[in-house]
Amino acid sequence: MRTTLAVFVAGLGLLLSAGPALAHHAFAAEYDAKKPINLTGTVTKLEWANPHTWFYVDVKDDDGKVTNWGFEMGSPNVLLRAGWTRNSMKPGEVVTVEGSRARDGSTNGNVKAVTLASTGQRLFAASSQGQ
Amino acid sequence: MAFLTDAAKRWRVSIAAMAMLFVMAGPASAQWLNVPLPGTPRTPDGKPNLMAPAPKTPDGKPDLSGIWHADDGRYLQNLAGNGVEVPMHPWAAALYKERMDSLGRDKPQVRCLPHGVPDAMLVTAIPFKIVQTPNELMVLYEEFNQYRQIFTDGRTLPEDPNPAWFGYSIGKWEGNTFVAERAGFKEGTWLDNGGHPHTDALHITERYRRPNFGTLELDVAIDDPKAYPKAWKAATIHFKLLPDTELIEHLCENEKDAVHLGGGK
Repeated sequence: MRTTLAVFVAGLGLLLSAGPALAHHAFAAEYDAKKPINLTGTVTKLEWANPHTWFYVDVKDDDGKVTNWGFEMGSPNVLLRAGWTRNSMKPGEVVTVEGSRARDGSTNGNVKAVTLASTGQRLFAASSQGQ
Repeated sequence: MAFLTDAAKRWRVSIAAMAMLFVMAGPASAQWLNVPLPGTPRTPDGKPNLMAPAPKTPDGKPDLSGIWHADDGRYLQNLAGNGVEVPMHPWAAALYKERMDSLGRDKPQVRCLPHGVPDAMLVTAIPFKIVQTPNELMVLYEEFNQYRQIFTDGRTLPEDPNPAWFGYSIGKWEGNTFVAERAGFKEGTWLDNGGHPHTDALHITERYRRPNFGTLELDVAIDDPKAYPKAWKAATIHFKLLPDTELIEHLCENEKDAVHLGGGK
């Protein structure tokens, strides 16, 4: 148990210290922190790849119209260190995404956290915001 | 929450803690993210002792080997320090302003080209590894799987070298400080995320110190007379050791990301 706890504490430390993560491109050039998004929908695809993990979610609006959103997270490495695996989120799962919308108004966003509807688990997405 | 008894609150907290344990312990045991490394000084309970003295090589020099990451992102945007303006020649000042105004949209790494120096070491969440050997010190950058060699075998910097993204590096010890000289750079990288430019005349002097097992400090002097009328110094950069872990492969996968920028799917 002690070992597990040490692993947990080390992991938590990394999670906290990971903070602003982005190296590849500038958050502010692509995303607008003043346009927060909080959307729930069904994952359609996951691209677990460097330099950024992307996933796509079908979001239904009040009129029943479905829009496929694209969401950017940190690199797989940063996500691994924050407790993710490539199997943490699968196509078909219902997720709630918190983040910031693309500056150009497209249906893309940068993700701060993902909550899995099946378990209620909230995973931090190694967002680049703030850097 | 007020209706819960203290015992019930404690129970809720422990359930949350257990949930976190499962979340964190799962991937940790499946990767080389948590692997006890030999040569790591430890406290009586087995944790890495980051306050222990810095290790030494057999010839008595400090050993800088380890996996390091910048302790926060404050150097990344402006290497000179928050709010510090570095005097530049007019062309360099105009380019810097353009890069700042466009919020870094055209950074080389957006196209999977390398970070500049010392920019490549400044991203807090992406570590680098130093491997110190008798005749060279290797720096392995996790991001983009890049490397740099600092030769300590007594050679001098090459004259009129083929320009290189990471330049050419030699190093020597001055007491407990490792001093590296770098030159021979290809133009095009940015010195920091803010976009301080450089030319092929760039000459960088780096001074590394390891005050204890868990800390590395770096002073950087930038000398590029074609871009800056006077040589200048970066704010002292502090790195923290990431103990008991390994680098993870990180290839920039064929500019896959570029299609997303500007609203693409």
